Amino acid sequence: MNKHLRYLPISDVVEGMVLGAPLALAEHGITNFTLPAGHELTETSIRQIAMRHGEFLCIVEDDPRSDEEREADLLRHKARLDRIFSQANLEHPALDGLYRAVLAYRSL
Amino acid sequence: MQLQLSEREIIERAGLLPAFPSVVNELLQTLDDENATIGALIQLVGRDPVITARVLSIANAAVMGSRIQRDLRDMQVAVSLIGLARVREIVLGVSLAEFSHESRMSHYFWEHSLAVGVAAQELARVAHVSPDYALVCGLLHDIGQLWMARFHPLEFQMVRMVINAGDEGCDIQEAERAYFGVDHCFVGGVLARAWKLPEAVVAAIEHHHDEHPPGEKLVAVTHVAEALTNALDLTRQEEARVRYLSQTACTLIGVDWTQDLNYLFGRIEARARYLGKTFAPA
Repeated sequence: MNKHLRYLPISDVVEGMVLGAPLALAEHGITNFTLPAGHELTETSIRQIAMRHGEFLCIVEDDPRSDEEREADLLRHKARLDRIFSQANLEHPALDGLYRAVLAYRSL
Repeated sequence: MQLQLSEREIIERAGLLPAFPSVVNELLQTLDDENATIGALIQLVGRDPVITARVLSIANAAVMGSRIQRDLRDMQVAVSLIGLARVREIVLGVSLAEFSHESRMSHYFWEHSLAVGVAAQELARVAHVSPDYALVCGLLHDIGQLWMARFHPLEFQMVRMVINAGDEGCDIQEAERAYFGVDHCFVGGVLARAWKLPEAVVAAIEHHHDEHPPGEKLVAVTHVAEALTNALDLTRQEEARVRYLSQTACTLIGVDWTQDLNYLFGRIEARARYLGKTFAPA
């Protein structure tokens, strides 16, 4: 099954979810808590993250969508993005760059 | 009928708004003061019972379920547990959320301001400028619109109708100037000066819509944060549009759109949702 990444506020994270990216929390510029990508979160690790003021996590999870459904979702995101940028001149490098970066993020 | 708003009218009517929270100015001053202590922050917060209660409540939520089994009632302990930076963020967010609520700001308006505040904070970390200043700039960037909606609701509604009609090239500032004689950036700048906010914050409010904003990082951060908030559709409002984005501003803060920015975007999206719950008016 395909996997996809989601970024969730700590309040929405539950036991059993799996980290999609390494986690490093710092205090006063010093990293004092790390977890590797692939770590399966437990009640304890979620509590430790909250205690260290972690506000969000990158989670990897199974993507139950078929290829067609994923394609349809991406088209829907692109249509919305096109609407948001409907009055922007995409020949302008900064606008084009922002448009492409957000589209890449929506394709995760 | 077209209005011709003057600085005097803007300031006079602003007196009818709830008092601007002085703790915001005072807190920003402590950031510039190398001798400011944790004690000074605690004293500032302690003067406002609403903010004190919210800081303690958030600190209690943060330690809930941990080994520290106690009911936090002491600000010193709260600060030591959740950290100085977090307390500053809570004080700024909660006091401006209360001000917005008392000023009868619409839910959408607050949601948008908060999202721009969070995006500005994250971009500030990239640009190496104060995230606290950036949060205030984001939260207040459209404060001129709040004034317009409150004191001239008819004209404000007319501007929204023009914008929502979606005419090609229709610019919010042009529409505002047509109905008010000035735009919300001007009104916001007048208010920010009247509230004696730091000049860097005033500049960010006044110039966040400029196609070529002045070369100050906080202005650039606020300008890019608003475009990014709309591009990420953080408030899911039909009227969200990105019309322009200054290349100079992007370069000044060091954002390169060709890099992998998924982590930055994810962080902004998740934190905007998280702080939306945290700062929700009591």
